[in-house]
Amino acid sequence: MSDLAQRQRRIGRIAAGVLMAFAVFYGTFGLMIEYSFSSDPIGPRGFPAGLAVALFGLGAWYWLVPGSTEEWPGQEGRIAALTFLVVSAACVLAMDWIGFVPAMLVLMTVIARLFGANWTLALVNGAGQALLWWLMFGPLLGGTLPKGPLGF
Amino acid sequence: MSFDFLWQGMGVALLPQNLLIGLIGCFLGTIIGCLPAIGPINGIALLLPIAYTSGLPPESALILLAAVYYGAEYGGRISSILLNVPGDAGAVMTAVDGYPMARRGEAAKALAISGISSFYGGMIAVVAMTFLAVPLSWLAIKFGPAEYFVLMVFAFATLGSMVGHEPVKTLLGCVLGLMLTTIGLDATSGAYRFTFDQPELHDGIEFIILVIGLFSISEVLLMLESQVKGTLKPLAVTGSYPSWAEIRYIWWPSVRATVIGFVIGVLPGTGASVASAVSYTTEKRISDKDGTFGKGDIRGLAAPEAANNAAATGAFVPMLTLGVPGSGTTAVMLGALMLYNIQPGPQLFVEQPKLVGGLIASMYIGNILLLIMNLPMVKLFARMLLMPNWILIPGITALSILGVYTAYSSVMSVLIMFGIGIVGYLLRKLGFDMAPIVLGFVLGKVMEVNFRNALALSGGEFGIFFSSTLSIILWIMAIAIVLVPIWLRRRQAARNRAGQPAA
Repeated sequence: MSDLAQRQRRIGRIAAGVLMAFAVFYGTFGLMIEYSFSSDPIGPRGFPAGLAVALFGLGAWYWLVPGSTEEWPGQEGRIAALTFLVVSAACVLAMDWIGFVPAMLVLMTVIARLFGANWTLALVNGAGQALLWWLMFGPLLGGTLPKGPLGF
Repeated sequence: MSFDFLWQGMGVALLPQNLLIGLIGCFLGTIIGCLPAIGPINGIALLLPIAYTSGLPPESALILLAAVYYGAEYGGRISSILLNVPGDAGAVMTAVDGYPMARRGEAAKALAISGISSFYGGMIAVVAMTFLAVPLSWLAIKFGPAEYFVLMVFAFATLGSMVGHEPVKTLLGCVLGLMLTTIGLDATSGAYRFTFDQPELHDGIEFIILVIGLFSISEVLLMLESQVKGTLKPLAVTGSYPSWAEIRYIWWPSVRATVIGFVIGVLPGTGASVASAVSYTTEKRISDKDGTFGKGDIRGLAAPEAANNAAATGAFVPMLTLGVPGSGTTAVMLGALMLYNIQPGPQLFVEQPKLVGGLIASMYIGNILLLIMNLPMVKLFARMLLMPNWILIPGITALSILGVYTAYSSVMSVLIMFGIGIVGYLLRKLGFDMAPIVLGFVLGKVMEVNFRNALALSGGEFGIFFSSTLSIILWIMAIAIVLVPIWLRRRQAARNRAGQPAA
């Protein structure tokens, strides 16, 4: 077996293990669902219990036959993905405090940078898109977007 | 039954004022449909008070709202095909084959094919509605919880077509989708399941959050990876329209999907997402001999689009004939009828021929208008992909965030979408397909609720699932859809063996 195939097998088995552990977690919490009455004989615990068993069984099958996986990103790829996710989460969390437009300006600029724009283009794109989406979903379509100290 | 209502309706729908209203509705609907944030329900809910207070007569108001509705069904496909961000629930399966076509430079063709199949689906369904609306209304009444459950079993049986060379991953995806439906308030017992005291989870994971996370955010992460590797190139866009042969080629898949979509649309509580999912898996089961579905096959694109539009039309049947809305959007439209003091029911066709006829006639005209309006714009929409990635991908991310935020006004929902996106990315890297997860999610809730309601009705007696003719027919269909392909494959293999010369 080649190194690549061995690595794929190992990754598949880790995923199968995670899924089986999740099945145990899901099944345990499923059995702890509290309810005062149920008009049907199955109740709210029945379906989750069945699904937990199915997931565990399928997880075991997956562990036995891990199949193939795609190539995973290198360090640079992982850093880029992490940057995207962290900045996205931070901007989304900050939206209610600083407002939609400033949060989107930062996010759009960072994503444009990640996709190869220089700082000037990224900033222009960030400002343009932040205003465009605010105009479209705010005043134009009547959506409720977070307002910061600047009012947008 | 007399069809006088239709002739009277044609007179109403062809009035210049109503033609203009229909055109405006179609245009607004297309825009609303392609923006994941809005969706037809919100679009109609926004327009309803405007239509009422502006003094439009009821038939004109209904024409406007209906035009927005089926315009949105057309529009939902645009962002699905171009950006992998489904514009509405019914357009999720459109992305499965539409997006790969766009990635290989055939965005214009994919948009045109989906527009034409939407037209096929919409037109055939309107014809069916004209002639079968009242007779078909019994179907909506005959379907009790047991029949709905067996229908879901049938839908899961069609999933066999999704099983590729790694069936365990398909089945795992399906179970994960089903698990997601168990989060939130259990409607039968009132218990909260897997909410961990988070109010945002009380209503469960919303469909739009799931699909935007799974499709759009995971796609952005994959693109980012390609960007870092230097393999992400701007997309080519060929201006080709489908050939006549291709337009003919999608006719039968569209017809089959229309039948499925229309029947599912007539059943209250199922909707366009179930219709497009079942039609896709059924078409794959029937036609995917070469394993091209999921890689940009025009039949895989045409089937869900036709079904989606047929379901949207089918949803009007129980609304008009019984006063039971077939979908969330028709529920809002039912509200519009009530606003005008109009009582839906079988007598509506006799008592309000101008209104019903005008509505149905406007659907014929609306479908033609939408096709005429959409086809020339196909190249324009496709050119959107020529934008540099540093403009396009921030735009996709913004649309995804806005799609969720404006729908639920909750930062937590947006974060859940990103969380689902990360899981989607990891699963895609592991070789999982996203479609079974979505299918499990779409079918799961209807299945569990009806399974338990049926057992509650029967006092725990499982015989209820076999007690009606409809259930038995559906069981036979479910068994047949699993066994017939296996039998056909074995027969073909036996013939091949018999045909081979002895070594």
